[in-house]
Amino acid sequence: MRLKTSLLKEPKHKELVSCLGWTTADELYSCGDDHQILKWNLLTSETIQLVKLSDIYPIDLHWFPKSVTGKKQTQAETFVLTSSDGKFHLISKLGRVEKSVDAHSGAVLAGRWNYEGTALLTAGEDGQIKIWSKSGMLRSTLAQQGAPVYSVTWSPDSEKVLYTTGKQLVIKPLQPSAKVLQWKAHDGIILKVDWNVINDLILSAGEDCKYKVWDSYGRPLFSSQSHEYPVTSVAWAPDGELFAVGSFHTLRLCDKTGWSYALEKPNTGSIFNIAWSVDGTQIAGACGNGHVIFAHVVEQHWEWKNFEITLTKRRTMQVRNVVNDAVDLLEFRDRVIKASLNYGHLVVSTSLQCYVFSTKNWNTPLIFDLREGTVSLILQSERHFLLVGSVGVFLYSYEGRLISSPKLPGIRTDILNAQTVSLSNDTIAIKDKADEKLIYLFEALTGKPVGDGKPLTHKIEIVEIALDQKGLTNERKIAFIDKNRDLYITAVRRFGKEERVIKIGTMVHALAWSDTSNILCGLQDTRFTVWYYPNVIYVDKDLLSKTVFEKDASEFSKNPQIVSFEGNRVTIRRADGSLVHTNVSPYPAILHEYVGASKWENAVRLCRFVKEQTLWACLAAMAVANKDMTTAEVAYAAIGDIDKVQYINSIKDLPSKESKIAHILLFSGNIQDAEAILLQAGLIYQAIQVNINLYNWERALELAVKHKTHVDTVLAFRQKYLEDFSKKETNQRFLQYAEGVEVEWDKIKAKIEMEIAKERERMSTNSSLSMRSSITSQR
Amino acid sequence: MAKDILGDAGLHFDELNKLRILDPDAAQQTTELKEECREFVDKIGQFQKIVGGLIELVDQLAKQAENEKMKAIGARNLLKSIAKQREAQQQQLHALIAEKKMQLERYRIEHEALSKVEVEQNEFIDQFILQK
Repeated sequence: MRLKTSLLKEPKHKELVSCLGWTTADELYSCGDDHQILKWNLLTSETIQLVKLSDIYPIDLHWFPKSVTGKKQTQAETFVLTSSDGKFHLISKLGRVEKSVDAHSGAVLAGRWNYEGTALLTAGEDGQIKIWSKSGMLRSTLAQQGAPVYSVTWSPDSEKVLYTTGKQLVIKPLQPSAKVLQWKAHDGIILKVDWNVINDLILSAGEDCKYKVWDSYGRPLFSSQSHEYPVTSVAWAPDGELFAVGSFHTLRLCDKTGWSYALEKPNTGSIFNIAWSVDGTQIAGACGNGHVIFAHVVEQHWEWKNFEITLTKRRTMQVRNVVNDAVDLLEFRDRVIKASLNYGHLVVSTSLQCYVFSTKNWNTPLIFDLREGTVSLILQSERHFLLVGSVGVFLYSYEGRLISSPKLPGIRTDILNAQTVSLSNDTIAIKDKADEKLIYLFEALTGKPVGDGKPLTHKIEIVEIALDQKGLTNERKIAFIDKNRDLYITAVRRFGKEERVIKIGTMVHALAWSDTSNILCGLQDTRFTVWYYPNVIYVDKDLLSKTVFEKDASEFSKNPQIVSFEGNRVTIRRADGSLVHTNVSPYPAILHEYVGASKWENAVRLCRFVKEQTLWACLAAMAVANKDMTTAEVAYAAIGDIDKVQYINSIKDLPSKESKIAHILLFSGNIQDAEAILLQAGLIYQAIQVNINLYNWERALELAVKHKTHVDTVLAFRQKYLEDFSKKETNQRFLQYAEGVEVEWDKIKAKIEMEIAKERERMSTNSSLSMRSSITSQR
Repeated sequence: MAKDILGDAGLHFDELNKLRILDPDAAQQTTELKEECREFVDKIGQFQKIVGGLIELVDQLAKQAENEKMKAIGARNLLKSIAKQREAQQQQLHALIAEKKMQLERYRIEHEALSKVEVEQNEFIDQFILQK
């Protein structure tokens, strides 16, 4: 990625430019010490003087935020301009000064609207921070201190304020009683801060010639090398993926993790302020020598399989097929804003249209017009893609048909990112920003909420979500990482019963599902972990550790990110920005394929060929999940779980189909389901026996009493159990029923035999099976 | 006799026998003096002109000299500042080089990783061929 800068020959301002702000993607306002407000129109390359203010030295400018609710208002109408005489001015788009308010003694160094546009924050040389109403009435003085406050910014939820005091950064909540967070951030005075809405990260720049990235708890994530001159400005791109840094004769483009994509050395003097255009494709910088510098972000890069795509110019993409070195040029009518390449399709959004290319044919894209608002995120799945913008989320097919548009009441869609939205062929998952413990799930094809419409709720805040991509709709799983960095997995669709949310990993920094099979990979503390078959926890928890592949992640250095997991290739970006590719074993994916097609013999043959414990363990779990006990037996034998092989053998010998299913469920730990199946089939005794075997005495007795059979059986087994452990009966209910019931083992045994015979009779077709089946003899 | 009396009275006759109150010799001398004076004044005037021209010329020269001097100083300063500019340019280029080096390092790491993947895949293929 690179910045393409443009500077006029002669500066338009006669003195230094102090501040600037965009209204749309092509219109910029700038103010300088020559008292002028200039309006730059980039479409016509015209610059007009809007107004010449009398004796005002502007310092900071901030546009009133676009109304979030009123959809008609598409651009900002007024802005706040702070000046060195201690005032701030509310100025309309046409340059009329609507109001001037005396705010601070000494200069007003910063003025910022909150994201809702309900409050204005100003900071002054006098060390005060004040909050004003929309119309410019003083609401409160938030803080007061000895040193000037050079920069302030709102937190994403507009409930906290970040400001500088000397070398320290302070996060102060608006609520007076809440805790204030303060830390020393730089070795010099801090000149600029910025806090991104989408990724919740903080940027700071100071006179120690460094810029730093922090998380919202003040933990350092990145610190740059020392520059030659103080860093005078920093600004986040609207999508939170990039940020720009300005210094003397220096303009830098950096990734959100801090490493730098590109460095430009334009002849600008110090760059006092940087503003990103609304669509995030270009920046403008206020230069000390009266220039306003414009810089376009170009040469973004996308890779998928054998295709490499580069945005060579604003409206041109170059596609290179690495296999045969064929080069295609894609031309667009407008500037490219977002693009995504995956699953054989390239989706490109410009300011007005959306283009869908197939990797098979670059010449004839499918083009459709976009609804109003720019696209902030494109997500792809095998069959459709999702466009996320300020007006909502829209699911399109690759034929360009609008499939659905989930309704998200109260969710700001323009701040969603790839960590908070996930798409699979049949499901859309969205994490709410207002309540981060919730995940909203939608049917992709209809846009309606999944199941009963209740969102998935977790105990604590969720950080990242991801849906698996393959397999049946009913078995769709979602993996998510919470604030404690624990990795959980759960089913998306719930049928009646409460589906368990199960923890499968701790200290997980990043995760990704493979795009071709349900294999999950993650970076766990210092290890790189691949869960070959995460579904195993629903089948046989003991196998989880055996189906996991781990390797040392030290080659990825500190804080790596997973970029993609295509087929069996994982691409990881290290903290220094370099990409590292690593392969995971191809066999589990093949195994997934065989199992998906129920080719059990092939699957077993594959495992015999590979001779790996992990693969056998995966097969065992898959076989049990699909209730193919023959394969399961082979697989369990291969990994040496003899007890399980024995149990499977005993299941095979069971007389009826229902008992078999029930015992397979029992095998996976689904006791309730197993019992329900038995009761449904009228196998009351078997259900009771299941509970007895599990020492679930109360439930066994309850069933027996409810169905008025085998009460004596339960009591007999209970008695035997108590005798074995030389204990006394303490349970009230058992004492109550024990009275008047004579325990005769012969009679009970006869009854049991009868029950089993009855079951066998019912399944007369299966009666040729071995005679020696008695549930009581198991385990 | 009479002449002397007239002479005593301050009256004289000239050659043309006109009555004069000044001694003809003196008169002649006076006239001569007058002529000489006029000549002298003319000459002085001429001299002044010449000297004025000279002064002008010298002034011009002085100005030129001054200009040249300033130019020389300017050039000297420029020379000095160019050295500084070079330094700044050098610094900028160094920064750009450092940036490129970092990019190169990133590519190197990526290449290394990819080579490793290649080796792994070749191994895999070999193993596959051998076992089949």
